[in-house]
Amino acid sequence: MAAASWTCLLLPLAAALAITLAGTRLSRRAAAYVSTLSTMGAFAAAVVAFAKLLGESPEARTHSTTAWTWLAAGPYHFGLTLLTDQLSIFMMLIVSGVGSLIVAYSVGYMDGEDEERRYFAYMSLFVFSMLLLVQGGNLLLLLAGWGMVGLSSYLLIGFYQERASAIAAAKKAFIMNAFGDATMALALFLLIQHTGQLDYAGVFASAPHGGTVANLIALGLLGGAVAKSAQIPLHTWLPDAMEGPTPVSALIHAATMVTAGVYLIARTHVLFENAHVIQDLAAGLGALTLLMAGLIALVQVDIKRVIAYSTMSQIGYMFVGVGVGAYSSGLFHLMTHAFFKALLFLAAGIAIHAVAGEQDIRKLAGIGKLMPQTKWVFLIGSLALVGIPPFAGFFSKDPIIASTLARGDWFGYLLFAAGIFGALLTGVYAFRLYFIVFTGEPSAFAREHFHAHHGKEGPLSMRWTVGALAVLATIGGFLQFVPFWDPLTKWLDPVVPALVDATNTQEAVASVLAVLVGAAGIATAWLIYGSKQLIAPEPVRLFEQKFYWDELYDRLFYYPTDLFTRGLYAFVEQPIIAGSLTAVAGFFGLGSEELGRAQNGLVRTYALALAGSVAVLAVVFLSVR
Amino acid sequence: MHGPDITAYVILAALLFATGALGVMLRRSPLIILLSVEIMLNSANLLLIAFARLHGREDGQVFAISVMAVAASEVVVGLGLIVAMGRRNLDLDVDKLRTLRG
Amino acid sequence: MANFLVWLVWVVAAAACLSSALAVISFTNPFYSALSLIGHLASLAVLYLLLGGEFVAAGQVLVYGGAVMVMFLFVIAYLGDRSDTSPWTGGPSWQAIGAVLAGGALLVEVIVVVGLRAGGFLSHEAQIDRSFGSPEHIGQLFLTDHLLAFEVTSIVLFVAAVGGVVLGAHARQIGDDPSEVDARA
Repeated sequence: MAAASWTCLLLPLAAALAITLAGTRLSRRAAAYVSTLSTMGAFAAAVVAFAKLLGESPEARTHSTTAWTWLAAGPYHFGLTLLTDQLSIFMMLIVSGVGSLIVAYSVGYMDGEDEERRYFAYMSLFVFSMLLLVQGGNLLLLLAGWGMVGLSSYLLIGFYQERASAIAAAKKAFIMNAFGDATMALALFLLIQHTGQLDYAGVFASAPHGGTVANLIALGLLGGAVAKSAQIPLHTWLPDAMEGPTPVSALIHAATMVTAGVYLIARTHVLFENAHVIQDLAAGLGALTLLMAGLIALVQVDIKRVIAYSTMSQIGYMFVGVGVGAYSSGLFHLMTHAFFKALLFLAAGIAIHAVAGEQDIRKLAGIGKLMPQTKWVFLIGSLALVGIPPFAGFFSKDPIIASTLARGDWFGYLLFAAGIFGALLTGVYAFRLYFIVFTGEPSAFAREHFHAHHGKEGPLSMRWTVGALAVLATIGGFLQFVPFWDPLTKWLDPVVPALVDATNTQEAVASVLAVLVGAAGIATAWLIYGSKQLIAPEPVRLFEQKFYWDELYDRLFYYPTDLFTRGLYAFVEQPIIAGSLTAVAGFFGLGSEELGRAQNGLVRTYALALAGSVAVLAVVFLSVR
Repeated sequence: MHGPDITAYVILAALLFATGALGVMLRRSPLIILLSVEIMLNSANLLLIAFARLHGREDGQVFAISVMAVAASEVVVGLGLIVAMGRRNLDLDVDKLRTLRG
Repeated sequence: MANFLVWLVWVVAAAACLSSALAVISFTNPFYSALSLIGHLASLAVLYLLLGGEFVAAGQVLVYGGAVMVMFLFVIAYLGDRSDTSPWTGGPSWQAIGAVLAGGALLVEVIVVVGLRAGGFLSHEAQIDRSFGSPEHIGQLFLTDHLLAFEVTSIVLFVAAVGGVVLGAHARQIGDDPSEVDARA
């Protein structure tokens, strides 16, 4: 058990180190295979660990292995501890499973890239970091993994180093995440102060219940979750992160890293339950984000940005789920979302790859006719996204909406309305994208630039992985159909017991409404973009400008800081710091100039100097008996 | 001794020394400067001889004779320099001779 | 009566000393300055006599007055009339003030230092006999207690003589017509 967990964690790290240290001695292809095989190895190890866990009774499924004491400071001891329990194995399987599919896809996508080795080293580093995050046995290791996934994200977003926009996007992502890291660190400081430890069992037992401190702790953790998962108000980095290669967008910014916030809230749910206000705040932020992102996605013209805003919106659903206490629903949606969102990104990647890197949907229009297989898998992904049965999204999204009903009070109904309206928006934007890009006649641009890959739509590695994800998006939902069978909830219950339990009626109402509304959205999209019977309305300025969040942050943070630094430069740097240095130099220059006047070459002056010095020295010798 | 006591000689010697110093510092002609140096040396001699008388030992006088010999030597060299300057038709003005300017 | 005479001689000699010293530094014509110095040396010799240093007084007149000053006068005559038209000017602006201050400071200090250091000794005069300052005594001291000083002084004189010859000689080259050498500086 322990061996399997450690193998799962360390294989990707070994791959990253091997690729880095081997450098050019390893061919690009070989580096790609090293990375892919290590991730698949990690998945295999996770499956082994999972099998072992299955064979145990529910209470005994928590295994904690400590390698050594990592940090010992006075009375505080933090070990290098790995925790393998129901929740962590769930996350490990998703991360390594979807991860290995995406890394395998990259073998074909990044083929021929000059910096391929760097890419795969970073991807392996990321997989390792994400596994550390979910397997960490105490909050310190979680924070370590948290920071490292942020680093990997920065490295991969800025992968195309020559593009200034990529560098800027990477910096933006990192800085916003650093803010979240800071709030998390503060929360951990408070926890250490009040409980003296950071491992989960101990912390949950002795954390304060209610009161300011509990609220602050939960707020700090929420800050980190919001930054990592790109929820309001720390969401502006995610659309820009699309500057990275498409597999990166799929893995990091859809399937795994951005869902780390959801994992965090689920894992530390005790701390959130101690601070109800903050948990409600999480749900509220999730609802706001899902609506805002859905509206923005209606008017975007870059295919990856539409999918990015869709990610933001779906994570909003997950936040609503864990915010009201339906942890397993939120986590189940995390799983299905990983499947269909990765599918959507990778299928889009095939299309982009085939049309020389073009991402504008107006230029890509109608490419479905030239790439039928891609069209079908994209359709599967879109249906899963909207939540149409039997595809995966239906089984996971509707229980979240139902749980908001189960919460009961006005806030729950508000969340319910948001969820339903969000489902409508999802239908519209998802199928707007599908109809524009994959149906109808190909645009002139598409015809001109389309090039098949040896007669097929893409390389083999890209096709089989997308196919696998399409299968998962189709059947993955059947893991749990809440009123009838719920093995996942039962599996996770010992670790994350749900706070609310929706009745069958509520489930039915939620499901039916959500499906109807989603179908209505699809129909609207078809009318406008599919059969073109209705004219598309003018895109709303507000949505196009992403609700002006970037401009707001610019005014709020950039301008004052810029002003401040300019002021510092003008009033402190130049006159005081630089000025003092030039003054010192000038002082010496001036001083030596003045002293040099004593050397005027006149004998009489020297005689005067002699006489003067004798006079002074006589006094000195007199006074010093 | 009859006559004024030692303090009078001290004051006189001090005045002579100051006079010589002023001459060195304030005159431009090297000849006058040399003469002023002689005045200073002689004032020191005067003091030596006066204290020799005070203590009743002739060591001061011996020292004064040595000083005289040294002064003579120094005048020889100084005048040699002045003659060399004169031969080259340089202005006998110490202010004009300043190539050792720092 | 004897005391009065001594005092009178002293005052006259001291006055002559001081005034001739001031004259040395004040005359524009160096010839006059040199003559004033001769007067200064003579008055000093008188003071030495008052202090019982006969040999030194004689040496002063012979060596200083007879040799050094004669040399001075020769050189001044050789150089011709080089009178300073404005003897006290020139130099940096602070030279005059600085010089006066330094001179004044030295004046005060000599008096103060000697007065302080000498302390109680100043009031005890020693008793001397008639042969005080006689050539025998001086010679004896030179050849016994101060032999080193004596020898070193002779070396200094020797060096000065050589230096004087070197400084005064013309540069001479082979094949020169001796009468032309003078024209070369």
